[in-house]
Amino acid sequence: MRPENYEAQRQPPSNEYELNFGPNHPGIEGNYALKVKLHGDIVLEAKADGGYLHRGFEKLMEQRLWIQNIALVPRICVPDPSPMELCYSMAVEELCGLKVPQRAQWLRVMQLELSRIAAHLFTFGGHAATTGMYSTMYWGVADRDLLLDLFEEFTGGRVYSIYNIPGGVRRELPEGFLQRLTETLDYIESRLPDYDNLFFKNQVFVKRAKGTGVMSREQALEWGVTGPNLRATGLAFDVRRDDPYLVYDQLAFDIPVEESGDAWARTLVRRQELMESIRILRQVVEILPDIHGPIRAPIPNPLAWNVPAGETYTRVESSKGELCYYVVSNGGPKPYRVHVRGPSSMHAVQVLEKMSVGSRIEDIAQTMFSLDACPPEVDR
Amino acid sequence: MSRLQKIPVVEEKKGNPLARVFDDLVRFCRSRSLFILHYCTGCGAIELPPAMTSRFDMERLGIQPMVSPRQADILLITGYVSIKTLKRVILTYEQMGSPKYVVGICSCTVNGGMYWQSYATAKKLDEYMPVDLYIAGCMPRPEAVISGLQKLMDRINSGEADSWQDYYRNYDYYLGNQQKLFGEDWQTPTDIITEAKHYELMGEGTLGQHTRLLEQHQKPLEALEMRLGHNIKEPVE
Repeated sequence: MRPENYEAQRQPPSNEYELNFGPNHPGIEGNYALKVKLHGDIVLEAKADGGYLHRGFEKLMEQRLWIQNIALVPRICVPDPSPMELCYSMAVEELCGLKVPQRAQWLRVMQLELSRIAAHLFTFGGHAATTGMYSTMYWGVADRDLLLDLFEEFTGGRVYSIYNIPGGVRRELPEGFLQRLTETLDYIESRLPDYDNLFFKNQVFVKRAKGTGVMSREQALEWGVTGPNLRATGLAFDVRRDDPYLVYDQLAFDIPVEESGDAWARTLVRRQELMESIRILRQVVEILPDIHGPIRAPIPNPLAWNVPAGETYTRVESSKGELCYYVVSNGGPKPYRVHVRGPSSMHAVQVLEKMSVGSRIEDIAQTMFSLDACPPEVDR
Repeated sequence: MSRLQKIPVVEEKKGNPLARVFDDLVRFCRSRSLFILHYCTGCGAIELPPAMTSRFDMERLGIQPMVSPRQADILLITGYVSIKTLKRVILTYEQMGSPKYVVGICSCTVNGGMYWQSYATAKKLDEYMPVDLYIAGCMPRPEAVISGLQKLMDRINSGEADSWQDYYRNYDYYLGNQQKLFGEDWQTPTDIITEAKHYELMGEGTLGQHTRLLEQHQKPLEALEMRLGHNIKEPVE
């Protein structure tokens, strides 16, 4: 399926063959492709072929106002959009020296953790589908929808919430929302034993995932791996704990760690993170009614807003890993330069290329899903 | 759609009445078992798993995802198409067997949407292939997707959804737009003109200045030599 060179090329005779894995392939996540060289079904060489989702975000953001970019940034990572808008807002706040009110910070934590649960449920579904267990996918997507309903209620959008703006959040919680949030959390927690029996303890999954896509801690650090993938190699690093932003330093939560660094360990780390996110959300539900005050710091007229000149680098922990924004302002109404350091561009390109070598072709999809790579964020 | 050639309407009463009943039956059956080729071209793909799985359940309408283009009926373009993707989308569309239907989901397929000033995306999908139905929104909810597909079912049932014929009748127009984007020597492995002759769908717009370029830049395909023998080396470990 490569239009540029679909005509036959003469090659010296050999037992190796090349295969285009994707972009229109049931096993691949999103619109992404790999060129793999195979002997039988063993991968000898893999080369990532991205760019199918390139939209030129970093250039587009230079052509729009500071406030317009809020609508643009969540589109970078589709399954987990909330950290994107938050990280950008934090960068603009740092440039302007805006102080975010306490209540807005708690609301932001709530949004982030809800988004993390939704993203993890979606990943479990996709990962299970690559090992042939479609029931988990049906369950995961259906349970994620309950969280999307909550998103719709308090932000107005199902997938792209666009809830944060520089200085705070857009709107106050609807009445009785925390009650409904607790009910949904109870329901999801009650479902987790079922997920364990269906997927996490299932021998089909365990036998296929153990020993697939192994990386050591040294390799992970060398390749720039972050997030749950790094924690699956035994290193407990989490931006929420080690470089706290918002009010994460006032919350109690653990950093789940696994040692073996394979697909199985990565999935188990996410499974435990789900519990930790529920724990954080329960603390938020307890504390949030006692915190009063405004939800937004006053900002100048957003249509004629000249952000003071300077540069900044902010980072948050998204469900995929460490997400960073480098923003430069020259004092004008539009950003001078925005660079997004997404976690997936490392995971889906250099890590996946190296991990696929030596594995079987049917395990490529599983490796990609266990890395939780997000193709729109790779290409931007 | 004014540039499209007016397709002459066949008189209803003519022909064998039994054949008419048979045609109606075929259309009815066709509209009740649709396989969609789910090519995730953009962000709209994220709303399709909810639409397909337990909560909204598209399968109750007889709509199912299908993995290969040869067996699919609907090409679902979910969101913006970058130029690199558009090549694959066109190849996929030409590989699908007729009758085939194209549904453009999200605002980006209508007019570029959020990315109207982006250098990397194709703005209007219907310049490159005929589109049966647009579902606007950024992104459309699963209910909107399902209601859009229901509308497509109705149109297939009544015989209005025949955009695939338009691709054969106005191939020159679509090819011209594709050449504008990909260069003069743009070729696809599918021979649309022969297919148009086969379906008896040669229109005034099938051949033109752009299809002449197609012949000019065509490279002859060489037959592949397949040899199995002792001189094949084992891979080095």
